[in-house]
Amino acid sequence: MLESIKEGIKKGIETTWMLGKIIIPVYLFITILKHTPVLNYIAKVFSPLMGLFKLPGEAAIVLVLGNSLNLYAAIGAIKAIDLTPMEITTLAVMLSFSHSLFMETAVVKQLKVNVIKVILLRVGLAVGVGMVIGQVGAWI
Amino acid sequence: MMMILKEGIIGSLKSVYTIAVIVIPLMVILQLAKDYHILNKIAEKFTFITKLFSISKEAIVPLLVGLIFGISYGAGVIIQSSKEGNLTKVDLVLLITFLVTCHAIFEDTLVFVAVGANGYILLGLRLFMAILITYLLSKRLSQKISIQTKE
Repeated sequence: MLESIKEGIKKGIETTWMLGKIIIPVYLFITILKHTPVLNYIAKVFSPLMGLFKLPGEAAIVLVLGNSLNLYAAIGAIKAIDLTPMEITTLAVMLSFSHSLFMETAVVKQLKVNVIKVILLRVGLAVGVGMVIGQVGAWI
Repeated sequence: MMMILKEGIIGSLKSVYTIAVIVIPLMVILQLAKDYHILNKIAEKFTFITKLFSISKEAIVPLLVGLIFGISYGAGVIIQSSKEGNLTKVDLVLLITFLVTCHAIFEDTLVFVAVGANGYILLGLRLFMAILITYLLSKRLSQKISIQTKE
């Protein structure tokens, strides 16, 4: 019993350390970006696309970080950008279907399945469900 | 510039703290569940999944492992089970379809709740879509197989 608890705490601290190493730099980077014209520029470029999900243009950064790195990088960015709870929920749903694509696809590849189909399924769900929940959320 | 750095450092440390408060107890619970083989006991209660997705009984433990602990653990168990020859090709396809859409549900849901997302919507939609897609695929695959055997 004690051994399991110790092991659990150790894993928890390891995970916290790992996510801290990701969240802190991402958060710092986005905070600095917020004080430059770059973030506004990104927001403007992506606002038509992100409008599909009823999200502000800046949210594109969150999706890119989550899909290329991992959920914790996305979380660092979510916290650094000002978003409403509904927008955070939409992003969370989209990211929960599709995240860490490089790493997780490498894992799935070991199972000898069609990797393209797996990625299409995940990204398709993220986009499809993201559009529905974004529109419904804005309507409520 | 100093103000911006201060804002960034305090804000990011706060985020790490909120998540640490969730992740550390969660890891203790998951470790206890693993060491005491609680999953094998829970698996008996989930035999209805075999009917729903028309998969073999051996696929339930890998499915639950991936659903709860994450895709890397799930994949490890799947590789092990298929080496022992317990899983059919159809089992494998359905398992992976389910797990790529829905895995590590406790960790993934709670970390988003920590930053302000609605956990019920998040978990509900994710589980629903994973079950729906796996179910539809299982129907399609069994149709394919029955056509093949007729020919």
